[in-house]
Amino acid sequence: CSSTKDDVLDTTPADQLYNEGLINLEAGKRAEAAKKFEDVDRLHPYSTYGKKAVLMQAYTQFQRGSYTDAIQAAQRFVTMYPTSPDAAYAQYLVAESYYRQIPEVSRDQQRTNSALEAYAELIQKYPTSPYAEDGRKKILLVKDQLAGKEMDVGRFYLSKHQYLAAINRFKSVVSDYQTTRHVEEALARLVECYYALGIVPEAKTAAAVLGHNFPESPWYKDSYALLAKGGYEPGEDTGSWISKAFVNVKLF
Amino acid sequence: VDPALFGASIAHAESSIVVRGNKRIEAETIRSYVAGKGRSAADVDAGLKALYATNLFSDVKIASEGGTLVITVVEAPQINKVVFEGNKRLTDEQLGSVIQIKSRGFMSKASVQSDVQRLLEAYRRNGRYRAQVEAKVISLADNRVNLVYEIDEGDKTAVTRIGFVGNHAYSAGRLRDVVKTRETGLLGWLRSTDTYDPERLQSDQDLIRKFYMKNGYADFRIVSATADLDRERNVFFVSFTIDEGDQYSFGDIDVQTSLAGLDQAKLARVVGTKSGNTYSSDDVEKTMEALTYEATQAGYAFATVRPRAVRDYATHKISITYYVEEGARVYVERINVRGNDRTRDYVVRREMDMSEGDAYNKALVSKAERRLNRLGYFKSVKLNTEQGSSPDRVVVNIDVEEQSTGEIGFGAGYSTTDGVLGDVSFSEKNFLGRGQFIKASVQLGQKQRGWGFSFTEPYFLGYRISAGFDVYQKQYLENDYRNYEQRDTGGTLRFGLPITENLTFGVNYTINDQRIKLNATQANDNYSDGEASLAYKRYVCPSYQPGNSAACGNWSRTRLTSAPGYSLVYNSLDSLQFPRDGAYAKFTQEFAGAGGDARFVRTTFDARYYREIWADWGIIGMARVKGGNITGIGESVELFDNFFLGGETIRGFAPQGIGPRDQSVSGTGYKLNESLGAKNYVAGTLEATMPFPGTPEEFGLYVSTFADAGLAWGVDSKSLPKKGTYGSGSSAVTFNYVDDMALRSSVGAGLVWRSPFGPLRADFAIPLSKSKYDQTQYFRFSGGTTF
Amino acid sequence: CSEAYDHGYVASDNAVGQIQVGASREQVLLVLGSPSTTATVGGEAFYYISQHTERMVAFLNQSVTDQKVLAVYFDDKARVKEIGNYGLQDGKVFDFIARKTRTGGADYGLLSQILKAGPANPFTK
Repeated sequence: CSSTKDDVLDTTPADQLYNEGLINLEAGKRAEAAKKFEDVDRLHPYSTYGKKAVLMQAYTQFQRGSYTDAIQAAQRFVTMYPTSPDAAYAQYLVAESYYRQIPEVSRDQQRTNSALEAYAELIQKYPTSPYAEDGRKKILLVKDQLAGKEMDVGRFYLSKHQYLAAINRFKSVVSDYQTTRHVEEALARLVECYYALGIVPEAKTAAAVLGHNFPESPWYKDSYALLAKGGYEPGEDTGSWISKAFVNVKLF
Repeated sequence: VDPALFGASIAHAESSIVVRGNKRIEAETIRSYVAGKGRSAADVDAGLKALYATNLFSDVKIASEGGTLVITVVEAPQINKVVFEGNKRLTDEQLGSVIQIKSRGFMSKASVQSDVQRLLEAYRRNGRYRAQVEAKVISLADNRVNLVYEIDEGDKTAVTRIGFVGNHAYSAGRLRDVVKTRETGLLGWLRSTDTYDPERLQSDQDLIRKFYMKNGYADFRIVSATADLDRERNVFFVSFTIDEGDQYSFGDIDVQTSLAGLDQAKLARVVGTKSGNTYSSDDVEKTMEALTYEATQAGYAFATVRPRAVRDYATHKISITYYVEEGARVYVERINVRGNDRTRDYVVRREMDMSEGDAYNKALVSKAERRLNRLGYFKSVKLNTEQGSSPDRVVVNIDVEEQSTGEIGFGAGYSTTDGVLGDVSFSEKNFLGRGQFIKASVQLGQKQRGWGFSFTEPYFLGYRISAGFDVYQKQYLENDYRNYEQRDTGGTLRFGLPITENLTFGVNYTINDQRIKLNATQANDNYSDGEASLAYKRYVCPSYQPGNSAACGNWSRTRLTSAPGYSLVYNSLDSLQFPRDGAYAKFTQEFAGAGGDARFVRTTFDARYYREIWADWGIIGMARVKGGNITGIGESVELFDNFFLGGETIRGFAPQGIGPRDQSVSGTGYKLNESLGAKNYVAGTLEATMPFPGTPEEFGLYVSTFADAGLAWGVDSKSLPKKGTYGSGSSAVTFNYVDDMALRSSVGAGLVWRSPFGPLRADFAIPLSKSKYDQTQYFRFSGGTTF
Repeated sequence: CSEAYDHGYVASDNAVGQIQVGASREQVLLVLGSPSTTATVGGEAFYYISQHTERMVAFLNQSVTDQKVLAVYFDDKARVKEIGNYGLQDGKVFDFIARKTRTGGADYGLLSQILKAGPANPFTK
């Protein structure tokens, strides 16, 4: 069969192909570089270059911004060489590729969740790798985005005066995403929801916890003003779930 | 698991695990899949499975030789290239997407066999039952292989005949239109549905069952659906054996409810299944939904409806009792919107009246599904529920699949009045995912030019009010039916306020600058090269006298009309593009006079009713009545504010062909015959449309027969010159006009093609009765959307 | 032609009356069902929030016509300590804070949507 003839003859040695890839990469010709690394991987899988080529392929695709190919190559590297020193970097590339595709909060956050899982796997499998540190930081940012999604829907229900639906959304932010920037607003929105419903003890507690943890926050000032207008001071009803949720969290 | 602990156990196990036979995969990689586990048979087996799961190995053996664990592996060869040979009908990409193991993947005997099956399945799906696929492995240096699939597609196995056994009520031809599988024939090369596809045959059976159930055959069942392959002639014979049973009609219908406070009469009114009508499972389902909705409106959030049918075999009647009861107390814990890569979350969520934390309400879920489909942003909308965090909690998932809602359209058309017409338009129904609509278009044509831009926000300020504006310019050059040039430039600001699901009240404000211009040959007092009516000339230049047109300058007049107005639209059509059932009625009034030069009240109404009059042949009947009136406020109605009516209202007549006409005679005996427009008109149409016999439904070719009739009358004499002779010699003209209440009517037939850019129509009509002066036109061609 | 909706918890007619001070958490769950939202991590208080809304005309939003909150507070031995009822009249009316916490993520520009490219992301090829 004719079609495979051209490959068999292609006996350029692995290192030469690999170096051509590197040269292309330096020259910024990423598409050709990716092609070269792919050839090395295909023609010389068992050479030391074969292994490096898979990683370089993932790196080049990532630089070009074609994230799906980057994820595929990096995932293959992690499966084949889980214990290699570069495996952490490959896993990091998978996570970064998802991270770069995170859409704006009012859209489907499926890629945000994939990014979270990939970073979590990075930290769990390679806790001591140099990328684990950035992984932990990125997890905070990804969680911030997921919290932003909950807030976005919460505000939708608040604007429609559906206080129950809003409370449960803001509550999930306070319980599951305490370390994100949205927790301040979530608490302030809870003050609004409970106050609109007339359940003043919960409103006061939410405002008190907000004040206690974020005294300078503009959200606290607004909540305080809201309660003061209605004649109530923010006193912490320690029985309420909000203060319970914050007891074991050492904030600032 | 604390990673530190994990590390230690590896060291201990390290010495006692030996790996043999690995080439590319390092030993410690293989160890990592087995280490950290005990030595029992189960652990070893788990390790074995883990290694196989990576599908990096074609063979793995784990044995313990005196304390040390020996793992011997044979690495699966790596695939250098996957090649398809001999495939014509299916391209390499299509086949590539079907198989699992790709270039640079690892090959095992089992995975190759399953890929061969996948390729055969793909060919069977395309109706090629004779296809053969053979996998050839060519080994290359250091454990690499090339994988070649040699394919012999064999020619198409088409379905030549679809037969029915046991069909008495409906002819085989009618049932063939119900199913999707088609018989091959002249157009076989074009179609893909004339091949045998088991899945499609399965859905065909449901289609037939639904069709019969809709028409009263409650006992209907499909005895068998077989597809016999005739190997020699490489064709399929599909045959459905069915048992129709008797046709039933509804017996007595009753609604029972144990829920106090539910008004029995109100429930009965909502029931769609009337006793005496033929039984239809669709109507039963619609009634159940309506009853659920009524009960939830009355406060029973958990109401469910359970129908119980009693069949009377003698009289072929089915009596149904609907039990409206308290259902399971289930709450919605969370509503997830998924798949919206472009549409924003609130654009989907706002169509659902049920919020999180509410009682689960089936009627509101199906209402939301209908609304989301009607938006037109999604290819498919699926609402499904899954178990929530506790038994009485469910999670509702709204899975949407977006479709491209932006269109860049290049239209070329021909209309008998304005000649060749070019049109470039860009429109986006879901602008930036906010559900907003924008459209920009430019028209270039021999006799018609213009541009337009419009924008609509469906949820203005969070209310379900659609607010929008249009800006446009339209220029109509002079043609054989229009003896003047007209240019309209203007804009509209509009708000749509839905009163109920079907009734919408609209408020709008329009400002329009209209310029009417007569070109040189129409106003040079020389009747031989065609001259405009004296009425037109006086409109443009009131001081005109035949012979001296000095004061008339360039014969053009511009008037500004500034008119707020309102509209009421009732729309219960099942589809806007191609209605089969339902009614559409529109009533509008404009009050020109808020500034501007014109003062009038213009009223129009247009009511259409569609009904499938003979379901068997898909004949759709349409009855239509429309009319209009324009009345001056404190002044007479100017000539060019009248309705200029013709073929677009009553077919068989030329554009501007009906209504009051100028009948002046010039000094040289030249007879003028131009329309002066009408202040009032009323017209009616009766039309029946059916699919063009013999052509497949996906062509969208329809034939229609119709009868039109109507009147157009009334013109303000004060805004016309007095009858009589003006001027002298060759430029003199005796102005006269006719305005009668003659009934115009016509009958005819039309061909409709539902093309991708809207329905195109060609109508042929013969006027039966007309006023002596009307201008007729038997053939008319028009295109573009009708609503 | 006005439409009516019942949001949140739907009290089955006589259930509310059966809850007395001292009842156990399980009894409350049995009689009233699981709460719309719980107020403490450990279940210190159950809130049963229900709301009745009406919409006179299709284009208006649903307006709240009735709002009831049944609050059941528990002591540390998970016994009903106190029962509170809040009605529509307790609710306060005020403007919600307009400010929003900023969030990131790739957004669509006009061009990227028309040309069907992915969200406006500099790296997409």
